Amino acid sequence: MDFKLPPLGEGADSGTVVNLFVKEGDRIAKDQPILELENEKAVATIPSNADGMVTKVHVKSGDKISVGQRILTLDEAGAAAVPPVKAATPQLRIVEREPAEELERQPQQSPAPPVEAFSAEEQKPNASVAAAPSIRKLARDLGIDLTRIRGSERGGRIILDDVRNHIQRLQRLAFQPKVTPGGPAPKPPVERIDFSKWGPVSLKPMSPLRQVIARRMAENWNSVPHVTQFDDIDITDLNLLRKKYAPAYEQKGARLTLTSFALRAVACALKKHPIFNSSLDESANEIVFKNYFHIGIAVDTDAGLIVPVIRDVDKKSLVDLSKELEELAGKARDRKVSGEDLKGGTFTISNQGGIGGAHFTPIVNKPEVAILGLGRGAMKASVRENRIEPRLLMPIGLSYDHRVIDGGSAARFVVDLVKEFEQFKEEDVKL
Amino acid sequence: MDPLKTEIVVVGAGPGGYAAAFYAADLGKKVILVERETRLGGVCLNRGCIPSKALLHAAHTIGAARESARRGIVFAPPQIDLQKLRAWKESILARLSGGVAQLAKARGVQVVNGRGYFEDSRTLRVESSEGQQFITYDHAIVAVGSKSAMPRAFDLGNPRVMTSREALDMEDIPESLLVIGGGYIGMELGTVYAEMGSQVVLVEATDTILAGADPDLARPVANYARKAFKEVRLKTKVARMATSGKHIKVEFDMESGKKEELYDRVLVAVGRTPNAEDLGLENTKVSFDDKGFIHVNEKQQTTDPNIFAVGDIAGGVLLAHKASKEARIAVEVIAGHDSAFVDVTIPAVVFTNPELAWCGLTEADAEARGIEVQVARFSWAASGRALSFDHPEGLTKLIIDPDSERILGVGIVGHGAGELISEGVIAVEMGATAKDIALAVHPHPTLSETLMEAAEAFYGHSTHTIARKRVES
Repeated sequence: MDFKLPPLGEGADSGTVVNLFVKEGDRIAKDQPILELENEKAVATIPSNADGMVTKVHVKSGDKISVGQRILTLDEAGAAAVPPVKAATPQLRIVEREPAEELERQPQQSPAPPVEAFSAEEQKPNASVAAAPSIRKLARDLGIDLTRIRGSERGGRIILDDVRNHIQRLQRLAFQPKVTPGGPAPKPPVERIDFSKWGPVSLKPMSPLRQVIARRMAENWNSVPHVTQFDDIDITDLNLLRKKYAPAYEQKGARLTLTSFALRAVACALKKHPIFNSSLDESANEIVFKNYFHIGIAVDTDAGLIVPVIRDVDKKSLVDLSKELEELAGKARDRKVSGEDLKGGTFTISNQGGIGGAHFTPIVNKPEVAILGLGRGAMKASVRENRIEPRLLMPIGLSYDHRVIDGGSAARFVVDLVKEFEQFKEEDVKL
Repeated sequence: MDPLKTEIVVVGAGPGGYAAAFYAADLGKKVILVERETRLGGVCLNRGCIPSKALLHAAHTIGAARESARRGIVFAPPQIDLQKLRAWKESILARLSGGVAQLAKARGVQVVNGRGYFEDSRTLRVESSEGQQFITYDHAIVAVGSKSAMPRAFDLGNPRVMTSREALDMEDIPESLLVIGGGYIGMELGTVYAEMGSQVVLVEATDTILAGADPDLARPVANYARKAFKEVRLKTKVARMATSGKHIKVEFDMESGKKEELYDRVLVAVGRTPNAEDLGLENTKVSFDDKGFIHVNEKQQTTDPNIFAVGDIAGGVLLAHKASKEARIAVEVIAGHDSAFVDVTIPAVVFTNPELAWCGLTEADAEARGIEVQVARFSWAASGRALSFDHPEGLTKLIIDPDSERILGVGIVGHGAGELISEGVIAVEMGATAKDIALAVHPHPTLSETLMEAAEAFYGHSTHTIARKRVES
């Protein structure tokens, strides 16, 4: 028997094969994973629906496949007779969900109506359609409205050829670039550049996740007027505090990192500056202030950027935050975070300190209104009480949505944020 | 008895019910057909279309023999053996009904005899002399039909007051017969009894017989009735009826005043009422209109998602072929096809002398609805075939859309009109134009030529009539 891609649920009907777990000659059991399928929203493990020996594998890694497509041929002989099984429901794991999904819905363009005017073709109303009963039945089956077809025969009678031409025309129209009268001029098609003219190249298709990141970043960049506020934070004392308590945290199974401190510091600053914890509801011309503090952490994974969210940061102890942070980051790297884990953030922190680099300008993660980028702390000459001292300074960049937040507010936020880091209370770290 | 389980149960084995059951079985469904009478076929086969056509055939031979005298062939007056006539008619019904039963068996359709009663939306209880049987089903098709209306004022409990059902049994040939109602049933059965020798008086409350047919088509039938019947009284109502010894005393309300007469028998043919009662449908979500017909949509779905209705019980025109068409639609919808009763041409035939048939738009319809049409007529007086069998009283007409020249309707009166109308149905269904009909060669000498000649007349070049207007192309 052939094993075909079962329905995926969630409106998905296709995806890219990222991992293939079986090969020809393998003996597999019902419910054993066959492959991992990635689409815009998820990576799903597709389990087998029967026992048997794999006699042929019809797909390979990187193939784009759709529901109903043949994946394997199974020889069930030898395997226990398997009753016909309903296709096992694939287990969906949501990996990347568009954070602004809810807000995005309204402005979505409705599918443009076919451009060519139909008016000239419309039959006069009232008179029923002139077409043989067989043609009318065919049209009903195909969902074709015969009143939109002008028949070529005497008396406007519609024959099979007319229906065929109509369908071909609809198909042509469907693939024509859309011209909306009065609307913005259509984007000129991107000119393809042949890079191989100047040297050898290799091509790699964008993964669905990469496509989502690309689209979202461009959207955010285009729709949000960004300002980035820079500063340096003296984390000399904080670092001492971290080193002092790290072993104790270790014993509790938690890794005390700078990001843990950043979570707490940001939450405190957000409480003082609620506008940084808001969203802009453009449809209602309202600013939505959120009385909860769910902070997204940008996680760098092999596949690309993923931003899981830690909930109620202000209510959790540093040790719990540290544990949760590590757990979520691990899940993100293994692509095991759930869709829920990606939703509901009110602010985002992107910490590149573990990698290197100084100031950078992060892009606001809509519908949030601000994002904090942390660079790598480095020993720098710092002037304290008129003396030059070597201090550990961490460069930061705070990007914000200038539609919602003014420069003064941003400066005040940064001042308070710096204070939170520099005057981190020891009792908050103590276990 | 354990309940039977089925995909589809059909209640009523008339031309709607058995058509539904057979088609569903042909589509691979498990079907149970429930019929309260021992014989399958419903009213159409047992008490309607078929026995009336048999009696009309027998009656027409009497008229034909009589007319034959003017052509020099004289027959002795007929001697009517009613018992033999009834037996012959019965043999036809038995044969057809047996045929339906055989067709059911061959398809594996299980026939359950008894009265169907809906317990709920998924359960039918069938009561018979052997007890009761429960049937659970996925879908039910209600095809229980209609019966002759008998207004309470006429219901004397006297067998001399008949409906079509008793009239078709032909217990005797009454000397005098009053037919109440000038519709097709009254006209057809009045014809039978008149030819057999009864003095027939037909009364009709409105000012026309065969309402619904265009007046020019009804005229030859009215002409015949005036000759063959003792009297045709229009705009006349029956005020009262009473048993008076071996007669029925009837009091009429006429324009000229009141009148009282005695009749040997009375045939009440004032319409039909749906068989909606005692079905238990109140235990389902099925709803009815104020006349007792079941509400259905164009997919034959009732207001209960599990129950469909077809045929007379679903209202509309009460014709067997309309029931059969609806049956196919109901089955297709149950089978998951996108099917609907949309733009379906249902022809009507009245088997009077001469026959009258029409389909699609009528001239009266067009006028009432303000649809601009042109009408092309061809009189049978110009038909060699009609003259050769001595019945030139006929007319073929086409109702044509002047812009597209499409045939929107066809009306025919004359011998064999019921057979001829099918060409009209095809023309209307196919969206044919008058030119299509005119260009298609029709064999000579036949009555079908009258359709071609009517189409030619539309263009002004009918061979056998004089052009009154345009000649082009």
